[in-house]
Formats: sequence, structure tokens, C-alpha cells
Amino acid sequence: MKKILPTSNAIIAVISGLLVLLGYFFPGVFGNIQSILIGWSIILAAFALLLGIFNLAFVHWKKTKAGGAGGINSIVLLVSLGITIILVSLSGPTGALSLWIFNSFQVPVEISLLAVLAVVLVYAAARLLTRRPKWYTVLFLVTVLIVLLGSVPLFFLGEVAPLVALRGWLAQVPAVAGARGLLLGVALGTVATGIRILMGVDRPYGG
Amino acid sequence: MEQVLSSISNYLGLLFILLCLGLILFYFFSDGNRPKISLRNIQAFRHVRREVDLAVEAGKRLHISLGRGSITDLQGGAAFIGLTILDRSARAASNSDRPPMTTSGDGVLTILSQDTLQSTYRSLGTEQRYDPTNAHMTGLSPLAYAAGAMPTIHDEYVSANFFTGHLGTEIALLTEAGERSRSLTVAGSDSIHAQAVLYVTSDEPLLGEELYAAGAYLGAGPAHLASLRTQDILRWVLIGAIVIGAILKLFRILN
Repeated sequence: MKKILPTSNAIIAVISGLLVLLGYFFPGVFGNIQSILIGWSIILAAFALLLGIFNLAFVHWKKTKAGGAGGINSIVLLVSLGITIILVSLSGPTGALSLWIFNSFQVPVEISLLAVLAVVLVYAAARLLTRRPKWYTVLFLVTVLIVLLGSVPLFFLGEVAPLVALRGWLAQVPAVAGARGLLLGVALGTVATGIRILMGVDRPYGG
Repeated sequence: MEQVLSSISNYLGLLFILLCLGLILFYFFSDGNRPKISLRNIQAFRHVRREVDLAVEAGKRLHISLGRGSITDLQGGAAFIGLTILDRSARAASNSDRPPMTTSGDGVLTILSQDTLQSTYRSLGTEQRYDPTNAHMTGLSPLAYAAGAMPTIHDEYVSANFFTGHLGTEIALLTEAGERSRSLTVAGSDSIHAQAVLYVTSDEPLLGEELYAAGAYLGAGPAHLASLRTQDILRWVLIGAIVIGAILKLFRILN
């Protein structure tokens, strides 16, 4: 049984993947089966989300039982999770209580984290010169500075036309060229990864 | 000419996939006879191998972040690479006191990472070492995921962090947490925004296609080497096509 299951998993995964792929190129022939399979995958993903939440709760339950420095954080998480589940179940996903939780807790916390993120990025950029003291690091930081100065009006000077023009050129020519190069590499890698899974070589599903 | 191009454009994607498949199969079977294929030196992967060994010796663990990309869309590709790294790390650290730990921001990825860990331990005959809580979901929104993963980096005796999946600019919070806990961070993502941030914040950023070479560099098998060679060839083909297209456009042969 232990040997049959991985093989059958692989066969199901490969056939399903092939049918969904063919559905994109031959919608008349494979379109229906593609829709059915994608529909099933969405339902399974929703159940996976529920399992993920149970897993998260279980991990923090274990941490609470173990005690230690992070134990109090885990208790806060479990209590918050319980309260959120109860309130959202009572008022519905777009009800007043759900929106109150979202606007009073989720939004302020995420905005605070975004503010921290901005500080972290500035600090990391400043530290980059000690981390990688190379000419291209200096070029990177000078470019960042030009783009920043060209993006906002300056004290007493207002918008400096050459800086704005240089910023526009940097953003539209070298930055786009570089981004497209990186995206082409990512696309090739994604296609190769997909093909390995369709070949049944990579089996991240216990196969 | 244009009629022919428009009629095959519908099937261009399929032709491209078949070309990739053909090349992977060709190198998969032909490289078997070669003694060794030399790979370009990517420092990040050298450090990954070294850190796995050091983690085992120091009684510390590895943290692999799979990001929050759903496998039902394009973002899943990078997460699959994370699963390959998880498999290789779990094998290499199989005799460690502290097995690798994964965090993800998607339910399906959490289950896949648990499955990967379980099947790795099963294949090594050490299934009793499998603990489902070593692979967990930390949050569903970008910042919630980062906030949930940061305590893992700080509190779980982590010696190295591998961020390999779909992550946005919030990855800076994770790499900063790694820096503060003095653990190595090797990171790659399919997102351009994350790659820009990683260049500044990570010890070892993996840019562009470098992330997708992980399997080949970590010894995941001949199929990974074959697909790496295919990517290299197709990259040159694409560069050639772009240059030829630019020249044709310059001389107004193509509109």
C-alpha cells in the first residue's frame, strides 16, 4: 500500500496537470474538464486554508503549554483567533462586527508594520556600503538618490527639471530593461519547474 | 508571413512548452553518460550547503520560508523551488537534533511542506522524526505572514533562513529579523519588488533565474541539471530573438 499510494498520487497529479494545461490551448476539447478540475482545486484550497488555521492554532497551543518567553504571545493569538471566529460567524464576513475588527485591529497593525518597513529599508540601504563595498553599490545608491530627488519637489527649489527628466529616463529605460530581463529568467524557471512536475520528477505531494 | 505568424501565435505557448520538454528530456538522457557537469559558481548555494552542515554541528535548525504564493497561479513556481530546498535540507540535516522548520502564508503550501517533510523522513526510514508543527502557516496577508514568521527566526534556534517563494517588499522585515538574530539569510523570489529589496537587505540574494537553479546546485537529481541547461539555452535563444527583433524594427522591416 505504501508503494502504491505515491505512484497513484503521481499519476493523478500528472494527468490533472496535463488536462488543465491542454485546456488552455484547446478550450473546445478540454475546456470543460479544465473548469471542473480548477473548481475542485479551489474547493480543496479552501479546505487547506482551514487546515492551515487549525495547524497555526495547534502550534501556538503547544507553545502556550510549553511556556517560555513567547507563551504570552501565543495566548494572545489564540484568544484573538477565538474571538474573531465567534464575531465573524455571528455577523457575517461583511457585517459590522467583522468590519470593526478589520478596521480597528488589522488595518492599524499593518500600517504600523509598513512604517517599520520603510525605516528598515532606509537603514538597510545605508548599511549596504559596509555589506558590499563595491562600485556597483555606489551606483545603486546614487541611482536611488536621483530617483528620490526627482520624484518630489525640493525645499526652495520646487521640481528640478533635469532631475525629473533623469528620473523618468532611469525609470522607463534601464529599470524596465533590467526588470524584463529578470522576469524572462523567472518565466523560464517557472516553465521548467512546471514541466518537471508534469514529468513526475518533482513530487511535492508525498509521491 | 504575418498570416502564418498569427495562425501559429495561438499555439506558440504550446510549441514553447514542447520545445522545453524536448530539451529537458534530451539532456536528461544524454547527460547520464557524462561524468560531471560544471556549474557557474553561485555563492549563495555554496553557503546553503555549508550552513546545513554547520547547523547540524551546532545543534541549530534551518528555517525555510515558502512565501504566500498560491500554487494555483504563476506564483506557485517559486514555492515549488522552496519545497525542493526543504527536501534537500531535511535530508542533509536528517541526523540533526533540530529538524528544519518551514513557514508559509498559504494553506495548500503548508500541507505540501508537511507532505514534503513526511515523505523525506519516510524515504530515510526515520518517519518518527516527522512533526507536523515544524511546517506551519503564519498568516494570510503579506504583513501578517511576515509578522508571524519573525518569531520563528528569533525563537527557534535558527542558524540560517532560506526565503524562497512569492514574497513582496515585506521580505525586508524577515531579512532584518535574520540579521538581528545573526543568522544567514539566502533569499530569492519571483517578485521584482522583492528582488529589489533583497539586493539591499539579504546576505545572499538570488536574482532572476538563479532561484530556479536551486535543485541543480543542491543535488536534487539529473532532471534539475537538465532543466537548468534547457533554461540556459532558451535564455540565449530569447536574447537572440530580442536582438534580431530590435534590428528588424530599427530597419523598419517589422512594424
